[in-house]
Amino acid sequence: MLRTAVLNTAKAVARTSVRTPASIARPVFASNSLLRSQFTPAVASFQPIRCYSAHDGLSKDEIQGRILDLLSKFDKVQDATKLSPTSHFSNDLGLDSLDTVEVVMAIEEEFSIEIPDKEADAIHSVDHAVSYIASQPDAH
Amino acid sequence: MSVTLPRGDTAFQARALYRSLLRQSNQFAAYNFREYAKRRTRDAFRENRHVEGSGSDGTERTVQELLQKGLKELQVLKRQTVVSQFFQLDRLVVEGGKTGKQKGDAGGIVRQKDTGWD
Repeated sequence: MLRTAVLNTAKAVARTSVRTPASIARPVFASNSLLRSQFTPAVASFQPIRCYSAHDGLSKDEIQGRILDLLSKFDKVQDATKLSPTSHFSNDLGLDSLDTVEVVMAIEEEFSIEIPDKEADAIHSVDHAVSYIASQPDAH
Repeated sequence: MSVTLPRGDTAFQARALYRSLLRQSNQFAAYNFREYAKRRTRDAFRENRHVEGSGSDGTERTVQELLQKGLKELQVLKRQTVVSQFFQLDRLVVEGGKTGKQKGDAGGIVRQKDTGWD
C-alpha cells in the first residue's frame, strides 16, 4: 500500500519535472527558429577564426619608465636628479649593495618575475636592469 | 627543510642570504609578522655591514658565524611562514590592495572565528 503510494508520488513528480522544462523550452525553441531564419546568411558567412594572440613583450620605454618610477619612490636614493636611464645604482644613486638587492627585488615584484641569484647580483645599473627585463619573456 | 648558501665569496653569499631572507619574509600571511621579519632582516644586515671578512685575524670567522646565524633564521622563517599560512585573518586596511572584511566567497580569506560577544 505504502509502496504503491510512494511509487505514484514519484511518478507524478517525475512527470511534472519533465513537463515544466518542456513547457519552458517550447517558446524558446520557437523564437530560436525565428531568429535563425532571420540571420541565416550572417551565420553562414561567419568564418570561425582562431585568434592566437602572441604576447608582444614589453617595450623598452615602458620598462625604463616603470623602473625609473620605482627608483624615484625608493627613499634611499640620495639624489633624485641623477636618475637617468643610464645611472649606476652605487656610483650615481648612492645605494650600497644591500640597497641594490632591495631595488632588484622591487623590480622583480614590479614585473612579477623571479631573478636567480647570479643574474640578480650582476644588475648594477638601470640600463642593465632594462635589458635583463626585456630579455625575459614572462615579464609583465 | 635544508637551506644552503650558494658557492662564491662571502659578499655574494651575504647578498644571496639577504635576498632569500627578504623573499621568505614576504610569505608571512599576517601583516605584523611580515613587516617585522623584513624590518628585522634589514636592521640586522645594516648593523653588521662593516664586519670585514678579508682579514686573517679571525674576522673571517665572524662573517661565517653571522652567515650561519642568518641561515638558522632562514630555517625559522621557512617553518613559521608555513605555520602562518594556516592561520590567515582578514587583511588589514593598511596593507592596501584587497581590504576590509572578506566574506569568504570567491576564494577570499575567511576569518577563523568571531571573538567576543559583540
